[in-house]
Amino acid sequence: MAYRSDESSLLIVVLDTNPVWWGQQLSKPNRDLTFTNCIEELLVFCNSHLMMDQRNKLCVIAAHPSKNKFLFPKSELADETASDDSEIMRQTKSDGQYELFAKVSETIREEVKDLIFSDTSGELHADCMLSGAMSMALCYINRVEKEQLNKESFSSRILVIKGSEDHQSQYMNFMMVIFTAQKQNTIIDACILDQESSLLQQACDITNGIYLKIPQLSGLLQYLLCVFLPDAKIRKKMTLPTNVKIDYRAACFCHRNLVDIGYVCSVCLSIYCSFTPICTTCHATFKIVDPRPIPKKKIKK
Amino acid sequence: MIDEAEPGYRWEAEYEKTWELLQEDEAGSLQASVDEIVQKAKRKRLLDRPINVKLGIMRHLCVVIDMSDAMNDKDLRPNRQLATLKLLEKFVEEFFDQNPISQLGLYIMKNKRCEMITELGGNIKRHTTSLASLRTMQCQGEASLQNAMEMASQNLRHVPGHASREILIIFGSLSTCDPGNIMETAKAIKSQNVRCSIIGLAAGVYVCQKICQETQGKYNVILDESHFKDLLTEQTSPPPAVGVTESSLIRMGFPQHETTAGIGKSSMCMCHIDSKDSSQGFGKNGYFCPQCWSKYCELPVECVVCGLTLVSAPHLARSYHHLFPLQPFAEIPTADIYRPNRLCYSCQKHLSEVHAYKCGQCSHVFCIDCDVFIHEIHHCCPGCASKRTPQL
Repeated sequence: MAYRSDESSLLIVVLDTNPVWWGQQLSKPNRDLTFTNCIEELLVFCNSHLMMDQRNKLCVIAAHPSKNKFLFPKSELADETASDDSEIMRQTKSDGQYELFAKVSETIREEVKDLIFSDTSGELHADCMLSGAMSMALCYINRVEKEQLNKESFSSRILVIKGSEDHQSQYMNFMMVIFTAQKQNTIIDACILDQESSLLQQACDITNGIYLKIPQLSGLLQYLLCVFLPDAKIRKKMTLPTNVKIDYRAACFCHRNLVDIGYVCSVCLSIYCSFTPICTTCHATFKIVDPRPIPKKKIKK
Repeated sequence: MIDEAEPGYRWEAEYEKTWELLQEDEAGSLQASVDEIVQKAKRKRLLDRPINVKLGIMRHLCVVIDMSDAMNDKDLRPNRQLATLKLLEKFVEEFFDQNPISQLGLYIMKNKRCEMITELGGNIKRHTTSLASLRTMQCQGEASLQNAMEMASQNLRHVPGHASREILIIFGSLSTCDPGNIMETAKAIKSQNVRCSIIGLAAGVYVCQKICQETQGKYNVILDESHFKDLLTEQTSPPPAVGVTESSLIRMGFPQHETTAGIGKSSMCMCHIDSKDSSQGFGKNGYFCPQCWSKYCELPVECVVCGLTLVSAPHLARSYHHLFPLQPFAEIPTADIYRPNRLCYSCQKHLSEVHAYKCGQCSHVFCIDCDVFIHEIHHCCPGCASKRTPQL
């Protein structure tokens, strides 16, 4: 029985292009996964997604340490007209491949080259601006929703491919992204290449996505196709990796330790592990309340 | 829209040509003008929000619904009672979404008396089932504002000092039938730091305005159903704190979510322990209270065994955007932007509108759709989130 889904699907891939982490991959002895291989495997995955349904849409965003960039679709200014020569050149390059796939491959390759060559800052950072890239993805989903003719419903999901580590300074923005995704019914999936990320674990749990740390980097494409390609309706019928125990405990503001029972300031909601007389964030003072009554000393005669 | 109370008499004030505000379009309809007025009020609200003011984040709100004869009026479809209940169901969901650690109570005004429908609590399902049951209730009698305010304030008396105490009255009639002097009740609730806001469905009533002024609440009269929805949505954001609310450290627990890989023993959860369906709530999954290890299916909840409030970190994070609100973007004409850059930063749409919106901090430009999306739903500027801030 042919399965026909009534919804088209919008997939947004957020790719971590941190040059520090990818550079470290190159220097590893067995070279499981290099950046060029990753881009090629990603292109196969994106083309597979477009093949699943004719109405499926795709968007790829690169999360770089200093900025975020849309790799696909390439924004074309309405009043810019391409010269005839370049148009013909573009068509002859496709050599029989389905035009849309050729366009995706070519655009992403060009934009990645552009991104890397334009990064002349010289600063090295071990993380990337993931929360910014995910915010842009959510705005894009909002735009596609507004542009939909016939008010056809579509499901949207964001796949994050990440290798570098988290940075705690992005916590607040990340939580906003998670709540917005929940409101928009967007699923956030995470494909983790190296270091575990508790923020993405929480995101996947809250939005019913899949969180997977790839055991073997050389098999990236297989994991992408088997685990992350099916959309929400088909996922219910498949056996996919389940979520690990998610740590929802909060970190106290004074020591950054995870607390089981903490004290929360009623004004600014900062969390402390033990009683402090003054809140460091909002400078509210707290009365010291001793719940135990002072026992009256009975003099025995 | 009620004017601000002026010290002199109305005939002494300036001659106001209020009819000039409304302008008909080609078809003769006033809808565009009304929409514009509502939009301007929204934007003014966004800009007017005072920053660095203490907000009441942990809120205890009593919603009083008018069930008097006036609610049978059909000016809202299908009638005022059903339209109000439908909007209130959405309001309850939105309220707990924006203020997860708050509590809500429902009351009705009927037959010159006030009745309690649900006690102050944080369980959404209880409130929505009670609202659904109110649909079949007959509206009769007259409304009594004083009885409502007294009953609500009595229930709010036992609330701890650090939480905000609020009353929201949906008032459909044009009169109130009270046993005593309502202004004394208003003064009494003001002394208890209770803030009373009223949404009028019919026309402006002087006594409502006076009560709201006295208690620092907001009085609004609806223009139509979408304006009613907007006013209710406005009530979901935490208001500035009234009077001197104590600040205290509240002891809260952050339970771990245990799945089948955890403890391995099935147990009954405390939220379904009284339910008749014994299969509900029995299993290995759940949240375990760190103090007494009783199991719960969902958070936030107050542990019935040891009294500890159980929340998860995302619940507290949900309120952070009220405390650190996003600044509104500056409106700039699109013609000023250099042509190749005329793209919205977050959705890559070509900027075809007359105005674009620029963030003051990261100087990126956004289209109008993204501006509305960012300020009303997302509360986080993508440009600022993509910028690396120097480590302090």
